[in-house]
Amino acid sequence: MKKNLGIEKLMRSYGTVIACIIIILVFSILRPDAFFTIKNLINITRQISLLVVIALGATLVMSVDEFDLSVGAVASLGGIISAKLAVAGVNPVLSIVLPILISFLIGYLNGMIVTSFKVLSFITTLAMSTVLAGFTFWLSGGATVFENIPDSFKYLGSASILGIPLLTAIMLLLCLIFRFILNHTPFGRRLYAIGGNVNASLVSGIDVVHNKNLAFALCGALSALTGVMLASRLGSAHPTGGDGYFMNSYAAVFLGRTVVKEGIPNVWGTFVGAAILGILANGLTIMQVPSYLQDVLTGVIIILAVIAQKVTSGEDM
Amino acid sequence: MLLRTKGLSKQFNGIYALKDVDLKIKAGEVHGLVGENGAGKSTLIKILTAVYKPDNGTVIWDGTETEITDPLKSRNLGINVIHQDRQLIPSFNGIENAYLGLEYEKKRGGIIDWEKMKRRVLKLSESLGIEMDFTVPASLLSPPQQTLLCIIRALMTECRLLILDEPTASLTDKETAILFRIIRKLKEKGTSVLYVTHRLEEIFFLTDRITVMKNGRIAGTVDTSESSEDMIIRMMTDNWESRTSSGSRRNIGETILKAEHISSKDGIVKDMSIDLKKGEILGIFGLGGSGRTEFLETLYGLRPKSGGGITLYSEDYPQPTPKSSIQKGMVLINEDRRKMSLIMPFSIRKNITLPVIDKYSKAGVIDEKSEEGHAAEKLKMLDIKSNGTDQTVSELSGGNQQKVVFARALESDPKVFLCDEPTQAVDVKTRYEIHRLLRDRADSGCGVVFVSSDLKEVLEVSDEIQIIVNGRSRELLKNRDLSSEDVLRYCYLDR
Repeated sequence: MKKNLGIEKLMRSYGTVIACIIIILVFSILRPDAFFTIKNLINITRQISLLVVIALGATLVMSVDEFDLSVGAVASLGGIISAKLAVAGVNPVLSIVLPILISFLIGYLNGMIVTSFKVLSFITTLAMSTVLAGFTFWLSGGATVFENIPDSFKYLGSASILGIPLLTAIMLLLCLIFRFILNHTPFGRRLYAIGGNVNASLVSGIDVVHNKNLAFALCGALSALTGVMLASRLGSAHPTGGDGYFMNSYAAVFLGRTVVKEGIPNVWGTFVGAAILGILANGLTIMQVPSYLQDVLTGVIIILAVIAQKVTSGEDM
Repeated sequence: MLLRTKGLSKQFNGIYALKDVDLKIKAGEVHGLVGENGAGKSTLIKILTAVYKPDNGTVIWDGTETEITDPLKSRNLGINVIHQDRQLIPSFNGIENAYLGLEYEKKRGGIIDWEKMKRRVLKLSESLGIEMDFTVPASLLSPPQQTLLCIIRALMTECRLLILDEPTASLTDKETAILFRIIRKLKEKGTSVLYVTHRLEEIFFLTDRITVMKNGRIAGTVDTSESSEDMIIRMMTDNWESRTSSGSRRNIGETILKAEHISSKDGIVKDMSIDLKKGEILGIFGLGGSGRTEFLETLYGLRPKSGGGITLYSEDYPQPTPKSSIQKGMVLINEDRRKMSLIMPFSIRKNITLPVIDKYSKAGVIDEKSEEGHAAEKLKMLDIKSNGTDQTVSELSGGNQQKVVFARALESDPKVFLCDEPTQAVDVKTRYEIHRLLRDRADSGCGVVFVSSDLKEVLEVSDEIQIIVNGRSRELLKNRDLSSEDVLRYCYLDR
């Protein structure tokens, strides 16, 4: 009896992590030659780096109990701006930093609309996403930007340091930074307080508007960085290149919420969530599972995760 | 006898909200139901409409024992309620709202017969003497018109008992007159009316008999013609007298918080003035809906203020915000701790330090050791029963949760405490501890504003009692030889 409770507690605390390990084990047993090799594992970290970075942004916005559905559109825009700047011969650092700054402001604008008019972030950012998609299309002429892209622009996406891809390093660094911010700074504490109970936060004297706006702004910046990383890796930028990350970023955050007891969005969980999605995609591709079946599997897993979250938190209440 | 209840009892968390209630309503009578805040009126109505199930007791309807299992059953019996908060669907028009829960009229082939529905609603409203536009959405109707629409809906089906819960709260004199005429008409037709209100003059104007409730029990039922307002008020309270010694011992100093003619933007607080002195516990008492909570929220800066002046430590404080209130040493203990005070998924420690988290940070990083130390100190000081400062507050009992709220308030070393029902749903021991804490603070030179709907408690802790009626401050009573009857008389007999 006691042992059962122990297992239940273990599953509740580490269920998602255990699921991730099981997935790795299954692929390793089925395809030890192709899946469980150093080269492929490093490859996976590179593949998930973009998803993790954009999902970090979604994690911040979700920690204040809001949604930013424009993350994909911002990523597309960021990629196009940076590629255009690179083609125009702008300094590579500037061509990375500028789109991030612009998107920081776009995110802040998202937040301002939501907080000052008290409208639903869901629909506001969805509409913003459409606005940005139109703008990106105009900027790119609807075509992929790939001609005359200087090699220096591709450095970010292709370089490795001591065998570790630069993209992987950026991902890990950002995870550490934002984990620290959310867990150990007053700003992070305030974000979680707002997400936990916005009324009580107001009573406690927290500037809810300002903190929410900042969460949206940081989300915008991280989304644009994802777009830049993508363009650099591919050596080209497509006007809808970042769109695909939108669904998966939220899938990662929701999976990640199941990793911690409180069921709140958190950096470690988001990383695990993105890893599960990335490993599945990688492993299933190696197994030559058709992509449509991959989509079905991924979707089912996300639904199961959300249900698991509800069931376990429901017991706690 | 149309309705008779026998020994109805209902407990919440081990506390009786209703005990052995025997209510008798005759066919065709207008029956008044009065009682102090929390006397059990709402609980009784909710049992009759199957929102709650009674723990004990039976309902006898029209001579037969009946179990009211769900709201539909209640409506089928002919019991209809009109609540304070008008329950309409804002986007539906008058006809659609009148037909809520009813089968729509249909033509052959299942097409909705709007014309027939309209005719039926209009016929009913004409017979009641109500004129309104039934084609516009309910959200565009004025609050009084919405109440009238609720009445029409209640009378769409055969109504044998109409329960009106504070129906005139938002009505102007004109609509009140219409309502009273409708009640008379219903009475002529043989419908019984249960009329719940705080307004005694309406009770005496309308009713045949009056039932008075007190502490979840029925204090008595009297014929209206044989009673007086004084008699009803006397029945409402145990006439608890204040302990004259409690207030006078304290050393009361100069004014610390002065509020003059405060009004809130939403119009709930109309004209409130208080004068809080150092070392004083100022009780504020008013009936439900008088604007007590809203007044404290306006002072604190949570609710937009539209007029009036606040002076805090003889400094002008024109635009209060929660942040600056905390910085200036004025804290608010909210009525609803789950909704307004605590971050439920947070630990005790994080809840306690939230408003002053910057104090525990060095170079933008939280110093968790010093945070933990302070939280642990508060835990000990207030005797909060827990598994340590890292326990989630949602796992604590109500009393301990409220102590966490106080622990947080004390973090900013406040001089003014605005307490709104600070002992609501806490155990007796915690209640005593909270009273003692507030007295200690007052003795050390703080000022405390104490709001409670429990009059006995207000008389127990306050030095002075400010009466509030309908968003306006009225008499200021010295809590000396004061009885609950005196206080209630000021609340009920205010014109």
